[in-house]
Order: sequence, then structure tokens, then C-alpha cells
Amino acid sequence: MNKLRLNLRLFFQGAYLSYIALFRWLQPVNYIATKVVNPLNQILFFSFLGRFATDSRDPTFFVIGNSVLMTALSGIFGVTMSIGGDRWEGTLPYLFGTPANRMAMIVGRAFFHIFDGMLGVFLGFGWGVLLLGLDLSQADPLALIVTILITTISTSGLGLLLGCFSLITRNTFFINNTVYFLLLLFSGANIPLGSLPPLMRSISDFLPLTRGIAAARSIIAGGNLVQVLPALANELLLGVIYTLLGYVMFRWFETQAKRRGTLEAI
Amino acid sequence: MHSWWAMKNLRAMKSSAVMTFRQNVFDMFIIFGVLIQPLLIATLALWMIGDRVSEAIIFIVVGSGMTGLWTNLLFESGNSITQERWTGTLEMITATPTPISVIVFGKNLANVSQSLGSMFVCYSLVSWVFGYQVSIQQPLLFILSLGMTVIAFICFGLIISPIFLLNPSVQRWQNALEYPVYILCGFLFPIALLPDWTTPFSYLLPPYWAARALHGASSGGTSPSDIGFSLLMLVVFSILSLLISQILFRIMLRKVREDATLGLQ
Repeated sequence: MNKLRLNLRLFFQGAYLSYIALFRWLQPVNYIATKVVNPLNQILFFSFLGRFATDSRDPTFFVIGNSVLMTALSGIFGVTMSIGGDRWEGTLPYLFGTPANRMAMIVGRAFFHIFDGMLGVFLGFGWGVLLLGLDLSQADPLALIVTILITTISTSGLGLLLGCFSLITRNTFFINNTVYFLLLLFSGANIPLGSLPPLMRSISDFLPLTRGIAAARSIIAGGNLVQVLPALANELLLGVIYTLLGYVMFRWFETQAKRRGTLEAI
Repeated sequence: MHSWWAMKNLRAMKSSAVMTFRQNVFDMFIIFGVLIQPLLIATLALWMIGDRVSEAIIFIVVGSGMTGLWTNLLFESGNSITQERWTGTLEMITATPTPISVIVFGKNLANVSQSLGSMFVCYSLVSWVFGYQVSIQQPLLFILSLGMTVIAFICFGLIISPIFLLNPSVQRWQNALEYPVYILCGFLFPIALLPDWTTPFSYLLPPYWAARALHGASSGGTSPSDIGFSLLMLVVFSILSLLISQILFRIMLRKVREDATLGLQ
């Protein structure tokens, strides 16, 4: 019982501290630039590009796709930087020196980013409603919240896996940005999956967000939770697999870093 | 006397450019901005346009390449002075008799020249990987436009870097400044799609005139006089940027000396 309490404390303290440290102790302007204005810019860019590309006046497809993709800003960049931050700030040796439960430690790094990622998606929808005529009147709010929650969890799972790479490489931004753009390409956010070549489409099946974006589109078009439940179950399963892979890699990198004496190498 | 001074500055500029080029070649962040991101944007645009792609192929190549030019200018040239501050070399640079603007010009020259790689990789992608026929309608005007684009981007970068150093709060918006220029400058779609009130903002941005000249020369359907007007605007903006940057550099150096923040990390 005592061990459980300790692990829970570790989980929440680690989650809170790593989150606020990421935005340099919550300077609002950093947050607003990254999480409020930048998503708007991306949604506008792809909506106009979509209009040009498809000759369609309705940007709904692109607004929904890019809004849900906003979860990757928190799920991938946020989570990765929370894990890598320990290396950059020189706290990794202390972290690995503790007997703390590694699962609580690593999953805790994603905790606040899940809520933050959900907020990002809602902000994206908000921009869509305000500026691009997104119609949410047919959407079941509960189903939409569940969809966004599960999609954010699965994306954060990928973020945990990628975050482990930040323990062994300095090129975290290269990896994160490349994965983010691959998600733009393959998740169905901007290109209907049916338009992708078969090989590329098979890549989409192994990525988070693919099913989440499709489910969000279905719900906003008037669908219900039962209809999208199988897709969401698969999305969640994918997130769990990525999280477990992240945990295994975290342990492996810890062992390697200790063995090679590269804990503090930056 | 003047020619000796000019030669000395040219030598310093060349050294700065060579040094920056060498530093950039293996920087994965720059490789992403110059090569990977434009490639992925070009692929996205190709698949988004779908069946009509052959009509817009050169527009995609040039537009995607320009995203690389802007991204690299924003992040690399924008940070060119700040990076010296982080590495503790800004004091030494400001103490030399060579004006800091000459050093930064050399850095921007390396950054912008490297960014031209964006256009080359996008051309290679659509031509060699996707197998589309890519042709430039007015090659001479295109080369001239490309040269003017490089000069205008270098000069525009001279304004961005002191602004970022003088106002850290502006630099925090760096990430958020990437897409607005893609949008307002019509890199990948015409600005006619945007609301009318945004047009004056486009006209105030040198990358807009660069995109207009390059798209016009490459895609055709634009008269040489129209391309010439865009080139003239690039010349005007380059001169304006140079003049404004001289004032900004003077203000910046005075302020960091007064505040004793030259070596602030």
C-alpha cells in the first residue's frame, strides 16, 4: 500500500514538474505562441492549400484533420521534450540513480500532455468554428471527447517511444519534426487515405491519429460512439503498444547509458 | 583607402560565410528545414492536388522550395546573433573592427545559399521519384529571379536577427511566424484565395515578391514586365532592409553595451 502511494506521488510530481518546466515555468507567451497561434496558422495553411488543391470551398475536411493533429504538438513534442529535458538539464543521472518505479516515471511524463493535447484539439475546433465555418451542430459532444481523449493517449504513446531516443541522441528535433510531418502526410489529416498509394496506406495503419481523425470526422458528421468504437479500440491498443515499447526502450537505454558512462553526454 | 576597407570586409564576409556553411552542413535541424520539410510539403501538395497535379507541378516545386528558404531564414538567420551570444563569441565579434552587419551578412549568405537546396530536392522528387516532366517557361528570368531572391532574403535576414536579439519576446513567436509567411506570400497557393484585407500585408513582405517573380518565370502566363516589376520590388526591399538593418544594428550594439548584456546566456 505504501509502495503504491509512493509510486502515485512520483507519478503526479514528475508529471507536474516536467510539464511546467517545459514551458519555462509557465510563461504565458511561450504557451500562447506554441499552442494557440501556431495551430491556427497550420489549420489556415492546410485549409487554403486544400481549397486550392481540390477546388472545394468547404475546408471542413482539413480543419478537422489538422485540429485533431494538434494533439501531436503535446503528444510528440511535449512528451519527448519532457523526457529529454532531464538529459539537457543534467538531472538524468539523479533520476536513474533513484530506485523509483520506471513505469510511473515515464508514463507520468505524458500525463499532463494528454489534457493539454485535448485542449489543443478543442482550440483547433474553436478556430475552425470561428474562422472557417466548421459546423459541430451534428456532433455528439461525449463521443467527440472520448475520441479526442483516446487519440491523444495513443499519440502520447508514440511520444513516449520517441522520447526515449532523446536519451541517446542530440537530434531530438530532427526526429520529432520528421515524425510530425509524416503524420501530416500519412494520418489522413490532409489527404484522404483512399488517395494514398497502397504501400503508403499500410504505413497509416501503424500510426496513431489515423483512426482518431477518421472517427472525429464521422462523429462531427453525425455519427455516434458505437459506430466508431472498433476504430477507437484499435487506436487505444496502438497507444498501449507504443507506450510499452517506450518503457522497454527506456529501460534498455538506461542500462546502456550506465554501462557506457554516457548518462551526461549531450 | 576605401578599396582596402572594402576588401577587408569582403574577406571577413567570406570567412563568416564559409564558417557558417561548414557548421550548417552537418546540423540535423538545418537538414530538416532545408531538405526534409520541403520534400514532405511537396509530397503532401502532390497527393492533395491529385489528378490535376501536372498543371501545377512547377508551382509545387518552386513553392515547396520557398518554404525551405523561409524556414531556414527564420530560424538560422534569425538566430545568427543570438547563437554567437550563446556560444560566448558575441563579445569578440563586436570588439573587432569589422562591422557586425558584415559578419551577419556572410552568415545569411551561407544560410540562404544552402536553402536553395530545398528547390533542388523538390525538383528531384517530382522529376526523378514521381516521374513528372518539369520545365521552366522563362529560364533566364527564373535565374535572375533566383539571384534577386537570394539577395532579398539575405537583406531581410539582416533585419530579423537584431530584432530577435533586441526583443526576446518577439523571438518567442519564431515558431508561429513560419506558416503566416507561407500563407501571405503565396508559396503554394495564390493569395487571391485569401481575404482582400490581407493583401497589403503580402505586399510588405519581400518573400511575396520573390514568390511572385519565381512562380511567374517558372509557370509562365506572366508577362516579363510583371516579373520585372516583382524584381524591382525585390531591389527596393533589399535597399530598405539594408538601411533599416544598419539602424537596428546600431541600436542593438548600443543597448547591449549599456545594459551589459553582450555576453548574456
